[in-house]
Amino acid sequence: MTDVIQLALIQARLDHLCRHMGWVMTRTARSPIFSQSHDFSCFATNRHGVLVSTADGIPIHTGGGGFAVRAILRDFGHSLRAGDVFLLSDPYTAGGNHLPDWVIARPVFLDDQLIGFCCNRAHQSDIGGGAAGTYNPEATEIYQEGIRLPVLRLIEGGELRDDVWRLLMLNTRTPDLLDGDLRAMLGSTLIGASRLIELASDIGLDEALEAFDEVCEHADQRFRQRIAQLPDGSWRAAEHWDDDCFGPADLNLCLELHVRGEELVVDFSGTDDQIDGFKNSGWVNTWSAVSMALASYFEPDLPRNEGTFRCVEMIAPEGSILNATPPAPMTMNTVIPAHEIVHLVWQCLSQAEPSRSLAGWGKNIFGVTAGFDGDVPYVMYHWNAAAGGGATSDRDGFNQIGHLIALGGLTLPDIEFVEQRYPVLFRRHEFRTDGGGPGRFRGGTGVDYEIDVSTSARWSFRGEGVGEPTGYGSNDGHEGAGGSIQLVRLDDLEGEPFIAPKYGLRQFGPVRMTANSPGGGGWGDPRERSREAVERDLRDGVISTQSARDDYGWSPAPPE
Amino acid sequence: MNQSTVWPCSIAVDVGGTFTDLVMIDDAAVVRVVKVPSVPRDPSRGAVDAVHRLADDLGVDTRTLLENCSRFVHGSTVATNAVLEDNLARVGLLTTSGFRDALEIRRGIRVDQWDHRQPWPAVPVPRYLRIGVGGRIDRDGNQLEALREDDVHRAMDTFAAEEVETVAICFLHSYRNAAHEHRAGELMRSRWPGDLTTVSCELVPLLGEYERTSTTVINAGLVPMVGGYLRRLEADLCQLGLSTSLLLLQSNGGTVPVDAVASRPINLVLSGPAAVGGALGRLHDADRAQIVSMDIGGTSCDVAVLVDGEVPVIDGLEVGGRHLNVPAVDVHSIGAGGGTIASVDSAGLLEVGPRGAGADPGPACYRRGGVEPTATDAHLLLGRLRPGPYAGGAITLDPDLASEAMHTRVAEPLGLDLEQAAVGVVALLEQHLRQAVETITIERGRDPARMTLVAAGGAGGLHGSAVARALGCRRVVIPADAGVFCAVGMLHSPLRRDTARTVVGSLDDLGLAGLAEALASENERLDGLLFREWPSDASAHRSTHVDLRYPGQLWSIRIDVAEGFDETSIRLNFEREYERLFGHIQPEGRLDVTGVGVVATAHTPDMPTSATAMGDHPSPVAIAERRCWVNPEDSWLDVPVYSGDDLHPGQQLDGPFLIESTTTTVLGCSGDQLEVLANGDVQLELR
Repeated sequence: MTDVIQLALIQARLDHLCRHMGWVMTRTARSPIFSQSHDFSCFATNRHGVLVSTADGIPIHTGGGGFAVRAILRDFGHSLRAGDVFLLSDPYTAGGNHLPDWVIARPVFLDDQLIGFCCNRAHQSDIGGGAAGTYNPEATEIYQEGIRLPVLRLIEGGELRDDVWRLLMLNTRTPDLLDGDLRAMLGSTLIGASRLIELASDIGLDEALEAFDEVCEHADQRFRQRIAQLPDGSWRAAEHWDDDCFGPADLNLCLELHVRGEELVVDFSGTDDQIDGFKNSGWVNTWSAVSMALASYFEPDLPRNEGTFRCVEMIAPEGSILNATPPAPMTMNTVIPAHEIVHLVWQCLSQAEPSRSLAGWGKNIFGVTAGFDGDVPYVMYHWNAAAGGGATSDRDGFNQIGHLIALGGLTLPDIEFVEQRYPVLFRRHEFRTDGGGPGRFRGGTGVDYEIDVSTSARWSFRGEGVGEPTGYGSNDGHEGAGGSIQLVRLDDLEGEPFIAPKYGLRQFGPVRMTANSPGGGGWGDPRERSREAVERDLRDGVISTQSARDDYGWSPAPPE
Repeated sequence: MNQSTVWPCSIAVDVGGTFTDLVMIDDAAVVRVVKVPSVPRDPSRGAVDAVHRLADDLGVDTRTLLENCSRFVHGSTVATNAVLEDNLARVGLLTTSGFRDALEIRRGIRVDQWDHRQPWPAVPVPRYLRIGVGGRIDRDGNQLEALREDDVHRAMDTFAAEEVETVAICFLHSYRNAAHEHRAGELMRSRWPGDLTTVSCELVPLLGEYERTSTTVINAGLVPMVGGYLRRLEADLCQLGLSTSLLLLQSNGGTVPVDAVASRPINLVLSGPAAVGGALGRLHDADRAQIVSMDIGGTSCDVAVLVDGEVPVIDGLEVGGRHLNVPAVDVHSIGAGGGTIASVDSAGLLEVGPRGAGADPGPACYRRGGVEPTATDAHLLLGRLRPGPYAGGAITLDPDLASEAMHTRVAEPLGLDLEQAAVGVVALLEQHLRQAVETITIERGRDPARMTLVAAGGAGGLHGSAVARALGCRRVVIPADAGVFCAVGMLHSPLRRDTARTVVGSLDDLGLAGLAEALASENERLDGLLFREWPSDASAHRSTHVDLRYPGQLWSIRIDVAEGFDETSIRLNFEREYERLFGHIQPEGRLDVTGVGVVATAHTPDMPTSATAMGDHPSPVAIAERRCWVNPEDSWLDVPVYSGDDLHPGQQLDGPFLIESTTTTVLGCSGDQLEVLANGDVQLELR
């Protein structure tokens, strides 16, 4: 039994080790997505492949890393040796979450004894497949989404396997970036490994092995204590899709959450069968989203390693949207249906513990425009059309914020920056009126977004938040407004607008895009919102007089 | 003590949240220190009180003291606190029509993603006082639509009716073409004259409307209060006899006369900690070329590095959730100090910080009602601090209260004895300190093991040796007067003015001529600023720099360019710095220019240095011996205790030892070799 002081020191060192790997990655990667947007996560596991620290990285990434290492142990557990490094990505066979996220995992040895793994999971710039840039909204099979990597021994006893490396470089549109980024991933895990060895040497081999189990036990204990504070019972929630990426559909994602003492059962039975479109999820990504949802519902100081979720049992029917089987495509899954999974878990927990209940965040509507600025190709994400966040029991929703699954970890660029970089001119980027779900705490408003794209371009629509409202209200709060996107030709502004679909690829000449991003859900009965807050919203123009009267029960003060 | 002062003298006053520190150095290099409680309601009083106290100590009247003061530098948290406490004037904001919410959207930045229930700080200008104005400039600076002056007039009426005290103006792409901002500023100044209107392109002509708006708005909100405070203080000191102009320490680590900073108080938000530049510059020499410092006070620890003789200045900082595009020394702060609280979580794991007990109630052993154990309590229990009078007698340390707090809140819940608990608290705190140092070194591509660790602040001396060992540093310096580290630094801080401007284009397209032209125009702008802001006799040294990046990247790298620069030297310098930070380069890769800037500094006459001979002082004699827990290897030992007053330059000691002086206690462990340096600093060599 490690003494409690040592355990606190060890957990802090493991967390710091993961952050250190992250610094190395940021400093050495080639693609701006790593050095500047941090779309990667560094983590460490014990020798059994159980996550001992996830201190680095974006929330949706952090929960599923253990599956990757356990796939390595399954395939190569008998022949691991110092100097080996593994690479994998396949969500069906190798513990990956979706194909663009590649995992580099380095087994770490001290005195010939395996003590753990240092890993880096990172979203690659391009992995082949039917569309540049890893997202192919027209995919109906995983084969169209890029190269699938089983667990590969990329480095064998210190020797890089050149044949494998060449195979990888042949299967990407951007070999220079991939080469540099993979080397950065290798370097970061090397630093992690040296620090893990240093830690184990400091405290002694046997003590280290024991301690790496005990940090998980501590997290397990903390989380069980927290779950035990919930009443026993079962709660249900459902999220609905009216589109399967190719047209109208009627699909349900269902959750029944059971609290039994200090244990949780997360049961997705009743969820519809997997679809042809690329918004299916595999077991690993579904689990990741569940753990992110749980961790973000409770207090932020709870430990977040894999021990935290030991008391959680997940049931997801095979062949359903949330536990798809090959060859269903699933590249969209870290955003959609991860967003739905978080909503489902939050909605159930909100019934179990209403005092901490959370309203839903608007689902994003923004896609990508790809064209040429002169003769230079560009790919522009419409980040500034991001949605509004949900309200909580003690604050309004964020009026505009990046993806729910990053909890704001991906930030929005300045308008001036976007205009300098792409051939576009913004006309408007301001809060919507009546976009936020009414509530005692109001949902985030979402924005009115208007932009002229002055070159001919290919438009990739990925807008789950288009149409029906997506930010559910909580505790008698109302849902936020739905989103919309329309395009008109720049040379015919009065002409018939093109109403954008949720998903699909289109080609347009110069156009003006007008979008309303979805609002977040409100929390609590809007009639309980303070008069002062309602009048401030009115004055700010984020609610209309009609909403003030109808939703909030406001009336002008009688003249004195 | 009563040796007479050799005039003239220099004075620095650092007004902090708890104490106001004053340091004076006279022409014979004799240093005096005064510490008085701050007066949060009227910070200028704390400063004036300290001056009176110094005069008393010297046995002269205040007028004599101030009339003989040739340099008076002031650092103050007044702007910092106004930002942290949201104590800003009522601001009206003009923006480009259609974009009035940038200030509230905040680019969606969350500091701690997991703590998503935490609201953002309240927006400093409510939406109804953010008014969009017609008129549009494009990315190249072309006017797409003329300024709608009638919109500006209507906004003026609204602001007047709403009793707005001060106005901020920030339009899209004003860093490329400032005509609309200038015109709107002119109109606004007819009602909010001079400093009461802040125009973004005059303050920070840099790309990025969120950061530029935020900086402009916060500056506007600070102008009435901070400007008033500074002018009042200068008038008070002047009346008391000060004949030189009051210098303020800015966030960039340099000083500036009051008049020059009253219109841009935003440059004072890091006024105190920024003195680390001056403080480390003083310690820098051939033996100590690279320094990393920890300034450990009651509740926080500030870490910084000094490389190539300078503490790096970065382009922006965040204070209380406000993003500010102003030059600031690169200081990283964590919640770890003497008053940092130890506790046990619900599943029995020890936690230390970031919460602190502050000045009131302070550590449990202070006898001021604190019941939570702190780092200071742990040190007391481990024999590292002496029970009884402390900090010159201002406080009495009570070991019984320390052990009660440690027992009930840490030892008992964890099933440990008192000693184990106290050792654990120190170990976890030191791990936090080590990680803070690693953040400012490793994360920025520097190796701490090759640096000298400076351990300053009241609590620095107790942790220097242990943290240095953990980092692999071989040398620790505990500066004399470690407890007033920043105030000493202020005496050594030069006048400094930074300017920077966004430039857009590739290095090829701009060419050397284009770059030279941009720099010349920036130099010209600086001429105008220095003419208005600096004393006429100050001679400025200038350095110019260019910000560059490879296409596609978000962040730029700043490189200095010397007179007669050419493309090869620019590329070479860029690649060297890029390689250091990111580990690779793109040979022959295109380079984009993103900005240029000029820094003017004027070193004031060097401070007199003490010429104390490294005399043949006999070895110091211990004043006591105390049982003390030194570190995990040494464990409990009988450690000789020395008085700081008995140490003289040139003397050496072998660890373990404790050195007690008024503002700090130094702990050396077995293998540490101490030497007192010529200026009174203490240096430890670790083995």
